[in-house]
Amino acid sequence: MSDQFQRIQLCGGVHFSSVTDPKFKHNRITANMVLPLNRDTVTNQAVVPFVLRKGSRVCPDFTQLNRRLCELYGANLSCDVSKFGGYQVLELSIYGIDDRFAMDGQSMIASCAQLLTEVLLDPNMNGGLFSEQDVELEKQQIIDTIESLINDKRAYAMSRCKSIMCEGETLAIEKYGYIEDAKRITAQSASEAYQNIMKTAQVELIFVGCGNPEIAADIFAKAFGGLRRSPVAVERTVTKLSADHVKETTDEMDVAQSKLVMGFRTGNITSRREFGATRMMVALFGGTPNSRLFTYVREKLSLCYYCAARFDRLTGLMFVDSGVEKRNKQKAYDEILKQLDVLREGGFSDQEIVASRLIMQNSLKSVGDSLGAIEEWYLTQIMGGECYSPSDETELLEEITREDIIAAARRVTLDTVYFLTGKEAE
Amino acid sequence: MKKQVIKSARLGEEMVKIKHDSGLTMLLCPMKGYSTAYATFTANVGSVDTGFRTQDDSDFIDVPEGIAHFLEHKMFENPDGDAFALYAKTGASANAFTSFDKTSYLFACTDKFEESLSILLDFVRRPYFTKESVQKEQGIIGQEIRMYDDNGDWRVLFNLLGALYENHPVKIDIAGTVESIAKIDHELLYRCYRTFYNLNNMVLCVSGNFDVDTVLRVADQVLKPDEKPVVIERKEFPDSGTVAKKLVEQKLSVAAPLFNLGFKCKSEGVSENLKNQVLDEILCELIAGEMTPLYRRMYDAGIINATFDTEIMAGRDYMCAIFAGESREPQRVADEIRKEIVRMCSEGIDRETFELARRATYGRYVGMYARTESVAGLMTATYFAGMDDIYSLLDIVANATKEQLAERLKLDFDPEKSALSVIYPVDGEETEK
Repeated sequence: MSDQFQRIQLCGGVHFSSVTDPKFKHNRITANMVLPLNRDTVTNQAVVPFVLRKGSRVCPDFTQLNRRLCELYGANLSCDVSKFGGYQVLELSIYGIDDRFAMDGQSMIASCAQLLTEVLLDPNMNGGLFSEQDVELEKQQIIDTIESLINDKRAYAMSRCKSIMCEGETLAIEKYGYIEDAKRITAQSASEAYQNIMKTAQVELIFVGCGNPEIAADIFAKAFGGLRRSPVAVERTVTKLSADHVKETTDEMDVAQSKLVMGFRTGNITSRREFGATRMMVALFGGTPNSRLFTYVREKLSLCYYCAARFDRLTGLMFVDSGVEKRNKQKAYDEILKQLDVLREGGFSDQEIVASRLIMQNSLKSVGDSLGAIEEWYLTQIMGGECYSPSDETELLEEITREDIIAAARRVTLDTVYFLTGKEAE
Repeated sequence: MKKQVIKSARLGEEMVKIKHDSGLTMLLCPMKGYSTAYATFTANVGSVDTGFRTQDDSDFIDVPEGIAHFLEHKMFENPDGDAFALYAKTGASANAFTSFDKTSYLFACTDKFEESLSILLDFVRRPYFTKESVQKEQGIIGQEIRMYDDNGDWRVLFNLLGALYENHPVKIDIAGTVESIAKIDHELLYRCYRTFYNLNNMVLCVSGNFDVDTVLRVADQVLKPDEKPVVIERKEFPDSGTVAKKLVEQKLSVAAPLFNLGFKCKSEGVSENLKNQVLDEILCELIAGEMTPLYRRMYDAGIINATFDTEIMAGRDYMCAIFAGESREPQRVADEIRKEIVRMCSEGIDRETFELARRATYGRYVGMYARTESVAGLMTATYFAGMDDIYSLLDIVANATKEQLAERLKLDFDPEKSALSVIYPVDGEETEK
């Protein structure tokens, strides 16, 4: 069985958390740098993990660094940027097989942790500056990444809806930043962003795997030990609790299938129980293949291939999205709201409650089987200022009644309707 | 019932292979410490099966493109509701997928494994198709096809397959087209069902948190043997040995051009193809992995980005190697890769780089034996490939030699048998609103 979540402070604003379970064959260590989303700094910060991934002072050459990773049995050093509520999280992560499977008996954990600290804390800088060439290349990569967000129409439509819904709030700020700012990135500006990150970010180090986390914790404690830091405080993101009017936006693009996204606010959630009830309500509404939206919009009306609801636990926003024909938009829209009304009036069966609860509990219990899922779960907990385990939440769902679900549905208000559609009229 | 234990000394793990009296083969791999059980019930049929006959048919029948996938959707429907409603009582997360040569029905659960397994083994063996339900599904799948029409990654792949293969049905979209699925009716579905969903043409694979006796108990209760084993003869699509086109281009609403550079590999039969896939994966690492000079050259020139990736796609009678990504200069990337392959063929493979590529692939394969989904996937793939031992793939990596790879390089990465597929952005489209 897995070892409970452990969290210790290594130094000011640097925490080390771990979950271990002997069943795994790999260890995954991630350094998450948490920073408030800010339109002025977001883009320069976004490029930093990608520049760091190019090499360290010890191993400045990108190709040599990758050869070193191959030696470590293809250990995977990856970086990315994500968004948790009103925060930008820059992550650098290393994932490698456990010592047990190394053919040459080396300590994989120590080697991987060491490599990660070098890349993060001892970058390849000359006179305090990143290499011009590395920054230029990674700046173009960031521009490419931002531009290619339109390739995945479903995700793009979802993100557009969220931006429109939260206009003017930090929540609307894009995690990779903005093209016009990316074009102005220089070695100087990226290096300054790096210094600022190392000084002000909350650093959440997370170890998940089958090995001994203390080996990694010691290496990080030494590496961070000498740093002078003044980390920002991480607080829960506050956004509007309910909508005052419905905003509607339509974009046209060269697409075969239109995308309808509806953004809702789930009201003032004041207790754990109300939180659990909202999660259950969203699942029953559109979170499973037995949900109202799947059953009615897809199966009964045959309007779409997908129509689903999802809930962002850090912000209390709920989104419904569906891929439909342009001519069916109104039909789908009406049916989605009609099903929400059914929930508000309690017109659902006890079986539906049981089914939603079972499938959510099933997914909570499987969190412990995946390194990535465990890490994401606890990072989300940390970001929400909480420390519940998946089994705490499994128990919470047991308490939720029909009345709780109805009350949760009644707190929901429609805020934004976004429609991405083809250019030609039908 | 025949039972055989298969072990891996390297990983310290084992699994069981059982030939059940009903005719079904079951591959079972209990994994200590896991909460999830993952089960797949798979028929040896996919989108490439467009023409076939059984021992009882005098002639081959040609079926509409996309019928295997259509059948997969329709299997969920029963006279008394659909299979999702049954799983709703157990909490299992259920799904299904159709690939080029397989159709899998699956669930993952942490509780009520026995009930969920009963549902799986029962509904996949009870076809129920009506005229009305077929019509309704044409609407849903029509939207699934439309969704993929907008998907650049999907289109660039199928355009490539169309360029590599003149005749082979691997080039057709797995879901078919709106026109082809309009030709599907319930009688055709029954015919496909009777041909391919015979227990002798299927396999049950289970991994994770369960015990073997439970599976046996459910199988004894639920599975009724078919009248007789089916013998399926599939239409053959002889390969010309060359590619149909060297270049294929399309425009879609994407930001930067997407490319797939494909090499038609030598197909040596389903079992050899799976083994060669593993070797070719090491080769891809050697040719264009992140540690190679080629990768570095292309990255530093700004003609590839972090989306660059490689894949080997192997099946019963086809195999190809694909280099994919985003690029402002796809033609230049293709030239660079072809040039590097020619250089490696003449100058040979560097020993140290070979060792690194082998190690990296080894680490990746070890990881595959630690996840319930990938264990079930490996069991299914090796079974249909006629291989007895799922762990043998790891041994292939561990025992790979430079000489083996040099030979595969010549056979599978021939620039003369390569094609480039590119999706260009639509002219003048704004990317930012």
